[in-house]
Amino acid sequence: MELKEISLQLEAGRAKEVKALVQQAIDEGFPADRILNEGLLAGMNAIGVRFRNNEVFVPEVLIAARAMKMGANVLKPLLTESGVQAAGRVCIGTVMGDLHDIGKNLVAMMMEGKGLEVIDIGTDVPPEQFIETAIEEDCQIICCSALLTTTMNVMGDVVRAAENAGIRDRVKIMVGGAPVTAAFAAQIGADAYTPDAASAAEQAAAFCREMKEKQAV
Amino acid sequence: MNARERMTAALEHREADRVPVYPILAGATRRLIGADYRTWATDAKTCADAYLKAVERYDLDCVLTLIDLSVECEAWGQKLVFPENEAAHPDYSAPVIREPEDYDRIEQIDYRTGKRMMMHVEVVRMLAKTLKGKVPIISFVFGPLGTLSMLRNQQDMYMDLYDEPEAVKRAVKNVAGTLAQYAGALCDAGADAIMWDTLFASGSIMSKPMWQAFESDAMRMLAQTVREHGCMNMIHNCGQNIYFDVQIDAIAPSAISFLYPPDDCADFAACKQKYGDRVTLIGCLPPTGAVYGTDREWDKLCREQIDAMAAGGGFVLATGCEYPANADLKRAERMIELAKTYGVYQTHA
Repeated sequence: MELKEISLQLEAGRAKEVKALVQQAIDEGFPADRILNEGLLAGMNAIGVRFRNNEVFVPEVLIAARAMKMGANVLKPLLTESGVQAAGRVCIGTVMGDLHDIGKNLVAMMMEGKGLEVIDIGTDVPPEQFIETAIEEDCQIICCSALLTTTMNVMGDVVRAAENAGIRDRVKIMVGGAPVTAAFAAQIGADAYTPDAASAAEQAAAFCREMKEKQAV
Repeated sequence: MNARERMTAALEHREADRVPVYPILAGATRRLIGADYRTWATDAKTCADAYLKAVERYDLDCVLTLIDLSVECEAWGQKLVFPENEAAHPDYSAPVIREPEDYDRIEQIDYRTGKRMMMHVEVVRMLAKTLKGKVPIISFVFGPLGTLSMLRNQQDMYMDLYDEPEAVKRAVKNVAGTLAQYAGALCDAGADAIMWDTLFASGSIMSKPMWQAFESDAMRMLAQTVREHGCMNMIHNCGQNIYFDVQIDAIAPSAISFLYPPDDCADFAACKQKYGDRVTLIGCLPPTGAVYGTDREWDKLCREQIDAMAAGGGFVLATGCEYPANADLKRAERMIELAKTYGVYQTHA
């Protein structure tokens, strides 16, 4: 078999086929990291590009992400066994007072598609919980989502809480959601605003790469 | 000109004395009469009094009776949460449609069994007693796919569009049957137009063919019902890259209220050029501008909208979505003032 087949089925959102193909690849002796990178992550990357280009939309991303999850579940024990590490760790949530989660979920899915480990702390998350999770889970990035103009301000509270906790130099803070703008992100001192889930995942992956390179120097 | 004459001119693509203006004041109106959000959203007299106060205080050119997006779904038994200072929303832990099989439980029901829909009809009736013939009343109704999403949850419903398309379509049809009765009742109560929220007809959510497959037939039927009741159809959609073309084809709206340029236009000026002679454009100020940034930036946004879309009429200056319910109303006052000064048409200057 070719690993590209996994990627193509994932792009089409065919979860059962992806699961079966991942198992087949394992049975045929492909290394876990190759199945992950050339099969699952390649598929999600392609979906991310098409999403950003308005060629596919939210339903297509959701079914592709579901297919990736099913394939990843099959692969997980082998990845752990072979010591394959995530490209970085992200803590994500919708800020306090806001219960909307679809945007946040899409970003989380896209980030997983970039090989990042995502800790989803849900909706209505107070600033302190973002900080506690980032410290406890050793996250490089905090992602805050908001859909309401009334809750966007909490993102500024998260930035301040990170400063007060003394973690601002080792944690990047990203913000997004329908009412959020780049100007607002700059105003509250966040590190990045991205307009869509695919760009958010790319930005997070770039931040993680930069931070790793910085550590290596 | 009075508000009705001004709006009529805009809808007929003629220049009025000035650009008509309507910051989408909905939940924010409660503060004008000191009402709490829950009472405003559940008691017809409180809600109507708040809207009337807003018309009186701000000299508005129309009223959009938008209560919240959960008005319709309550009729199918959706449990709601009424936060102290925010719009009501479904109890996300208890959706009516838990599994795809539950779509078949969504039947066409008598809209009169929905307390919140009946309350909205009553609000319109009360407003019409004072405003009919003077200030146009536009009633906001969430479209069938939107209503269905409030009974399921958006994320699961989007996947159901692939997994169980026929079940979703059957449910959409049944919901639309109820909404047709409801929209008819709003018209009969005194609304001049129904503004349909077609949230899903945008590139923010789904492809154009998918929207056509799942909602356009229902919207066509609903629009026809409204016309038969002697009222106009309008559309509200605050998504990005909204689909003007297929919605105009299905609904033939008199006006579209929007926040971002449509998918086939690079900017607002291009939108005016392409669609300005077919549909009245309502918008498109970002509601965040009412909360963040400076007065100067807000004024600039207002002027840019007028510059891009007001020429020749067929334009109403408005926020592209609801004016933030808890925001200071000073920015609403500024946009109204700008419509009255900067928005004066030269033939009337």
